[in-house]
Amino acid sequence: MSRTFFKTYLLSFSAGLVLFSSPCFAQDEFSFDMSEFEKKNLEWGGYAELKWEHMDINQGSAFSILNLIGEPRSMLDRFTGTLQIDGSYSYGKTTLNWILQAAGQQDNLGWYDNADVFEAYASLKPTPLVTASIGKKSYKWGKGYAWNPVGFLNRPKDPNNPEEALEGYISGELDLIKSFDGSLQTIALTAVALPVWEDVNEDFGEVNNVNLAAKLYFLYRDTDIDLVMYTGNSRSRRYGIDFSKNLAPNFEIHGELAYAPNQKSLVLESDGSVGLAEKSATSALIGIRYLSENDITSIVEYYHNDAGYTETEMDRFYQLIDDGEIQFLTSGLDTLLDKAREINLKGYGKPQPGRNYLYGKFTQKEPFEILYLTPGITTIFNLDDESYSLSPELAYTGFTNWELRTRFTYLQGPSNTEYEEKMNSNKLEVRVRYFF
Amino acid sequence: MNNKITFNTIFTTILTCALACVFAVQAHALDGNEILKQVDRNLQPETYEMYRKLINIEPDGTKKEFVLYSVKKGQDKMVALFLSPASEKGRSTLRLNDNMWLYIPNVGKPIRITSLQSVVGGVFNNSDILRLDYSAEYDVTTITDQGETYLLDLKAKTNAIAYDRLSMLVDKKSVTPTTIECFAASGMLIKTLYYKDPKDFGDGLVRPSVLETDSPLYKGYKSVMVYAKVTKKELADEIFSLNYLPRVDELR
Repeated sequence: MSRTFFKTYLLSFSAGLVLFSSPCFAQDEFSFDMSEFEKKNLEWGGYAELKWEHMDINQGSAFSILNLIGEPRSMLDRFTGTLQIDGSYSYGKTTLNWILQAAGQQDNLGWYDNADVFEAYASLKPTPLVTASIGKKSYKWGKGYAWNPVGFLNRPKDPNNPEEALEGYISGELDLIKSFDGSLQTIALTAVALPVWEDVNEDFGEVNNVNLAAKLYFLYRDTDIDLVMYTGNSRSRRYGIDFSKNLAPNFEIHGELAYAPNQKSLVLESDGSVGLAEKSATSALIGIRYLSENDITSIVEYYHNDAGYTETEMDRFYQLIDDGEIQFLTSGLDTLLDKAREINLKGYGKPQPGRNYLYGKFTQKEPFEILYLTPGITTIFNLDDESYSLSPELAYTGFTNWELRTRFTYLQGPSNTEYEEKMNSNKLEVRVRYFF
Repeated sequence: MNNKITFNTIFTTILTCALACVFAVQAHALDGNEILKQVDRNLQPETYEMYRKLINIEPDGTKKEFVLYSVKKGQDKMVALFLSPASEKGRSTLRLNDNMWLYIPNVGKPIRITSLQSVVGGVFNNSDILRLDYSAEYDVTTITDQGETYLLDLKAKTNAIAYDRLSMLVDKKSVTPTTIECFAASGMLIKTLYYKDPKDFGDGLVRPSVLETDSPLYKGYKSVMVYAKVTKKELADEIFSLNYLPRVDELR
């Protein structure tokens, strides 16, 4: 009964879009036409997505002042359409790969759109042991689900959506693999050269440098181990190690440890000046993934980041915004807010800018025998200022090539804390994605 | 004298019977494991590539289909790549002995998964999709001759195997399984597998082309695997590694 109601609801929800859905439902029982799946030189696919977000604005919070001063509002509705196209073209031992993404966004503040080449690179594979690549490619190093301290070439990911594609960097890569019998089953080396020049990877770090990074992977006694290193002048040198292992068939443990002897970060000093602080920084992550007997998957991670901002440093940033608001309201000037916006972009505004976090994601697969339904809840807790976000969600993948997801995010914390000072106090999100 | 003869006769008879029993038990145990190895070879070559369609059928008849390309090498290495539907295309799973990983193109890195989970939903779990040789994972504990079939009771070699015990009915003529009941360590029946529709896949391989399963845990639901192509293929060990996982499609 409940299942029928649920499917009816979902059908109604996507009624306008279902017209385009796959004809798989009408196929003969157990038919299998192999010709459809013959290998082709050109393979392509992707998805189209529509997303609606409704946010209740936390009026008076630091980020609502920073983003909405001059046009205060109590809520914000946003519609986003996204198109991602990925594919590859193979010719002999060479393959061209690409991921392109374009998005348009309309909300109460206006229209915004962008189109990016996330990846576009050529690979040459003379043997299964050796691959050489050149072009734009994204890196996802590290074993953590929400954060990756050893992801020295990674773009920062959104812990609320860690499974989304991210833009890559232009680089050259060499990948070598060797398998063995015995305790050491696999060893693999990935070496990357990443240049930073004018108009090439400029957002990675200081320009006019060629940076080198390497990852040495071992599968040793059923444990994944990576040794990671980055050196170059665009960012400070850093070293890392990560691991992942199943302690039981339903219990996995993973961890990362990274060390940067001379990490630089932008800091707002007590006198209001902005300086570049240099210090040795250790960041670490330890996490588990556990599958219970009733099919609940739990991912729990603790993340520490020496390079993050202390509560005092974040307080100074929020105070700067408060002072900026007073300046704007009394004089109409926004020099202090402009300063806050600038340092926001250079560090204070990154996702999870603090030092100690706890992440939890709990999903139950197919409860009440409803196939393809996955309810879940995600939480990110700032252990220093005791603010948090809590996001229950519901995902359904029962219609071939469609993914429906709805999520509500609630942010809470004492004043002058990370989640209390966000622009919104909550967010409702409904997303429909069609894969082709 | 008569007493001595009688004692010797009785002793010899008892000894002969005891030795016969010992050898009979050993012969049965050996036969059981040999039969299991023969079952494995009759289902698939030791190193091969394979195309399969996986169909989940709901009680109201609604179907969802997945097409997988798989390669296997030796006793403990296997990779499966999703070719369809588009929402799953490019996902690949790797199994090295008891270790399993899932690679999702958008996520961009392999994550460890467990044998009991299901990357496709429905009755088949990851160990069904990435099944190694039965003889690699199980020992035969008892064998019963049932006329046209053997009934093999199998016990998992380690507690990392998805099912603790299997009850396998083997057709004597084709030496392929017809029905397999899968039990948890608690003795609970998790699912039943039905091998059907023998087909000639070429190169001397004649095996069931359809594998159906149902489960008391999913009442009214059914999952089916349809095999379209199983052929021998030479494969490098390095293909079965995390670094190679994103490019499995290039093997086709």
